[in-house]
Amino acid sequence: MNFLLMHQNHFKMFLPEIFLATSILVMTLHASLLVTSKRLGYPILTSSFGKLSILVLFLTFLLVNNNPIAFMLTYQNTFIFDLLTANVKQILLLSTICCLFIFEENLLRQQINNFEYFILILCAVLGLLFLVSSYDLISMYLAIEMQSLCLYVLAASKKNSSFSTEAGLKYFLLGSFSSALLLFGMSILYGCTGTTNFENYTILFSGVDVSTFSTSESISIALLFVGAAFFFKIAAAPLHMWSPDVYEGSPTSSTIFFAVIPKIALFAVFIRMFQTVFSSFEDTLLIMSIFFSICSVIVGSFAALRQRKLKRLLAYSSVSHVGYLLLAFSSNSLEGTHALFFYLVIYMITSLSLWSVILSINTSTNIERSKTLIDFASVSSLNPLIGLTGMIALFSLAGVPPLAGFYAKMVIFLSALSSGLVLVSLIAILASVISSVYYIRLIKIMYFEPKSDVSFVFPVTRSCSLMMGSGTFFLIYLFINPTLLLLLTEKMALCLY
Amino acid sequence: MSFFINEYFPILLLLFVAIGLSFIILGASYFLGNQRPDTEKNSVYECGFDPYEDSRNKFDVRFYLIAILFILFDLEAMFLFPWAISLGHITSMGFWTMCDFLIELTIGFVYAWKIGALEWE
Repeated sequence: MNFLLMHQNHFKMFLPEIFLATSILVMTLHASLLVTSKRLGYPILTSSFGKLSILVLFLTFLLVNNNPIAFMLTYQNTFIFDLLTANVKQILLLSTICCLFIFEENLLRQQINNFEYFILILCAVLGLLFLVSSYDLISMYLAIEMQSLCLYVLAASKKNSSFSTEAGLKYFLLGSFSSALLLFGMSILYGCTGTTNFENYTILFSGVDVSTFSTSESISIALLFVGAAFFFKIAAAPLHMWSPDVYEGSPTSSTIFFAVIPKIALFAVFIRMFQTVFSSFEDTLLIMSIFFSICSVIVGSFAALRQRKLKRLLAYSSVSHVGYLLLAFSSNSLEGTHALFFYLVIYMITSLSLWSVILSINTSTNIERSKTLIDFASVSSLNPLIGLTGMIALFSLAGVPPLAGFYAKMVIFLSALSSGLVLVSLIAILASVISSVYYIRLIKIMYFEPKSDVSFVFPVTRSCSLMMGSGTFFLIYLFINPTLLLLLTEKMALCLY
Repeated sequence: MSFFINEYFPILLLLFVAIGLSFIILGASYFLGNQRPDTEKNSVYECGFDPYEDSRNKFDVRFYLIAILFILFDLEAMFLFPWAISLGHITSMGFWTMCDFLIELTIGFVYAWKIGALEWE
């Protein structure tokens, strides 16, 4: 039997990943020979490697687009390819391109001259691509580990800063703890059922009353452990404690990557696992996700009120947004999943826009240190367009009507209400009112606070200004005409039902 | 439940055998061996470090680099043995998979070498 012929279609499906992996290898070899070359004078590759990474990701994006097959399980059912994975991969690759685009100049300024930084980002993206496609506990675990290990190093990548090292170590220790929880849950699942494959689980649990299983309780407990590990990775309260510290300590470029990219991949695989494969155990899971949702919105809203550092504030704000996402997840319906993906995409656009504002408010006094809220003072009079962009992004995060964030929150609350989660929605709405206090306080500081010191203002980079412009455009455009995004996210959600 | 016991009984047995065996080995060397304790022998062994130092001292990170690289190649050997034994059954797919693995490992090694991770002084 000719195995290469048999796996031909599998290779076709894996072409984007294979291309990305090969490019990573070639880039590693190329860079390690180049930076040690005495003849070339030990060149610094940051700028060219940034562009090269963008090119590689763009070509991977094209390959994902060019996929000929709509649905397929490959390699003994360990990976799945359908419209959901294709769309999530496209969103992932595009947002990583945006991230790389905006923080290239920041990397140069922070003197992170290692070419490994880009290779690690590409490896993390590769891990996320595998994670989105994984259809087996083992492939899922390996993919999660691949992306997490890269993220730990990215957090610690500013070698001369003790904050960055601390963030990396904290992230590593807590992340490996959550991986241990995940493995423990998986081992119980395997012990109870004798399989690790999602397809087998689906067949095993379909059409029977699972409460008659003798191991039904053990499976529920195992799913609690697996769920807890997932909530840890997406930083849902009360398992969020690592995220403010890691966000604060890491170099800003890594923080942007953590804040924007990994959530959508984790949510995609999480939803697939819990709403289709283990849907027979939804009682346990729904109680857990409702609990985490309430905790996250409350902690995210109240804890952020006391923050003075900008990155910590945004970390808590992302905790509260994870709370809303989990509310959509708890509604356990097509509308809920649809709302979740819609919210995620709009949240990514908004945070990219907001982070590029944060990257652009450098003055000679704050450029070296971590930014606090007061660094936003009188941004609007120094540069009215940055003020306007920041205001639009913050209002969209708060969910104020003429912006896309309003629709995002609205669809989530509507889906929760239609599933009968009235009390939880009420709590989330009240918490979102409280959380808008700190968004509006930031806007107040931007517009009405006078600047206390005299300093030289750095010019805005071209890439940041492009990102801010397009982010603001999408936030307004998606309010006027959200049909395109709604259709896309509905298509993604329909894959699961 | 009997299915459970059937399936897991060997593991329980293994647990008891492991505990018993470790007691026997430790106990035998404790009771039968000659013992002439001194401070050097009783001190904690700490892989080349003085065990009673201040723990805030700087240490050379290269120990760990070498150790990590060693573990990588150790694991590679561990993969190679079963692969070599079962090469007849796994056809060209298995052969090329291992080749791919070796090439990627070599690229990592070249990177570590060029970047100077293996240089001691």
